[in-house]
Amino acid sequence: MGSTDATLVFARGPLFYTALMIFIVGMAYRLVSVLLLGWKRDRVPNKGSKLRGVAVTYAKGLLIFPFIPWVKKTFRGNQTTYLAGGMFHFGLFVVIFLGTAHMLVWKSLLGFGWPTLALPIVDFLSAAAIVAMIALFVNRLANPVLRLISGPSEWLNLLIVFLPMVTGYGLTHHRLLGIVALPYENLYIMHMMSINLMLIWIPFSRISHFMFYFFSRTYHGAQAGKRAVMP
Amino acid sequence: MADETIYQYLQREGVSRRQFLKICGALAVTLGISEASPLLAAGLTRPTSPTRLVAEALASKPRVPVMWLNFQDCTGCTEALTRSLSPTLTDLVLNKITIDYHETLSAASGVQADENKRMMMETYAGQYLLVVEGSVPTGANGNYCTIGGRTAVDLLQEAAAGAAAVIATGNCAAFGGIPMAQPNPTGAVPAYQLITDKPVAHIPGCPAIPEAFTGTLVNFLVFGKLPELDDLNRPITFYGTTVHDRCLRRPFYEAGKFANSFDDEGARKGWCLYKLGCKGPTTYNACAGIKWGGGLSFPIQSGHPCLGCSEPNFWDNGGFYQGQSAPIGRPTLTAAGVALAAGAVIGVANAGVNRLQKRHADTDEETTESLSG
Repeated sequence: MGSTDATLVFARGPLFYTALMIFIVGMAYRLVSVLLLGWKRDRVPNKGSKLRGVAVTYAKGLLIFPFIPWVKKTFRGNQTTYLAGGMFHFGLFVVIFLGTAHMLVWKSLLGFGWPTLALPIVDFLSAAAIVAMIALFVNRLANPVLRLISGPSEWLNLLIVFLPMVTGYGLTHHRLLGIVALPYENLYIMHMMSINLMLIWIPFSRISHFMFYFFSRTYHGAQAGKRAVMP
Repeated sequence: MADETIYQYLQREGVSRRQFLKICGALAVTLGISEASPLLAAGLTRPTSPTRLVAEALASKPRVPVMWLNFQDCTGCTEALTRSLSPTLTDLVLNKITIDYHETLSAASGVQADENKRMMMETYAGQYLLVVEGSVPTGANGNYCTIGGRTAVDLLQEAAAGAAAVIATGNCAAFGGIPMAQPNPTGAVPAYQLITDKPVAHIPGCPAIPEAFTGTLVNFLVFGKLPELDDLNRPITFYGTTVHDRCLRRPFYEAGKFANSFDDEGARKGWCLYKLGCKGPTTYNACAGIKWGGGLSFPIQSGHPCLGCSEPNFWDNGGFYQGQSAPIGRPTLTAAGVALAAGAVIGVANAGVNRLQKRHADTDEETTESLSG
């Protein structure tokens, strides 16, 4: 048995599950730690509806603002971050959930699947997400303020998310960065290895915002709704 | 006999010159030679055709005797060979040109067959080609597979010692195949693990594609050596590209059109079988090009996803109908639950430590305040 195949079997099997388990342990730990930080007792009577506040903040943040970004201060402050960030997150979402290959991963883990998008669409959006990531990296490098507040973990976050995306894109085209032709297996190994690294890294880094984002948005939405100031 | 050329041998067997040239053409195609190599062409006075190249080789070289050993196999590779393109190419190669000893096809049996084998090994020592079909058990001192009271390990090593080269045909001989699948009760190993001093070519597949096997054999006949091999010792001519690369359903893959079940509209329209577990993208074999049954069809064309039967460990590489991109196996719900619980416990402990620290900090603050106040 060739070393390539043995490595691939290991990266797709035991190593992936170990990484997944570390991910679950880590995220559960983070979640419980944050939840048990405790809430302050709410002594002020509600002026408006908390639920309405939450609904409005999600509707605006995810459905309305992306199409009229100029109303947001974040956009006016730094267009690159907003546009590239948006493109990156949108591309990533489509690739992870609506790419056929990834849906099959979910299916094998959850036991059910769903319809997916055509390869060219997913392919285009993943390329867009990669371009967006490069733009964000350059932006971080060029902007003096951003550079000043970026520690090693920020740069590592970028790298650790970038690797699975580049190797995954290479995997569909059998070449890395569109130039170096590599066997499917080698790219598959690289993709799985970078995914495994990312899974282990996520709970201990700010990439865990994929979960905590919803907490902060819900909390702030509820607070605004309670005071009857729509977010 | 040994010095008789292949052409002379064929003539004696009643093959005409015209038939001989036809065979040479077919062999050249099987080998995938499109033209003579620059080195050869330079030494020739006029442009040469692949057929001529093969014909010259066969007319000038003695035939190569082949010994075929069967161990832990289902004889499927032999079956596939004897039924392929019959009665032309493979038939001729197998019956007329080479095979001197084949345990399954041999008319002789018992002591008589053993005697034939011994004579062959003595007469052609260092010249014959050894073909191995099936994996070799090493458990229980090799006693899971014995022929004439001798173990497969013993027989293989004895035969390999006098061979010029070895061809391991089928997944069992090349990579261990089904006998080596977990839990591998007989301690089966592929042939190359027991033969370390001879070149071994692998023709994996379940069964091996007859043309891939014949092509490798013919390469040895024509050029006197095994063809160019990849890192898993497979001939690059036949195992250089994946099934996915040459698949006739590939455009549907690119267009994102998949069959979601074996009886939906996609399946009827012949769309890509990737979602049904097709292993084409990681399987190196010539199925999509050479096909089976004389170029009639191959599994994907007939509507079934590729099982990856020519790849190492294909039996243990996850479910046949599980997507190619899906992880191999899957953790149990219990494992995930335990992980979740473990994380939660660590989280609670962490929160406890946080509170203790906070209380300490608060008391310290109060003390400081009361002191300063």
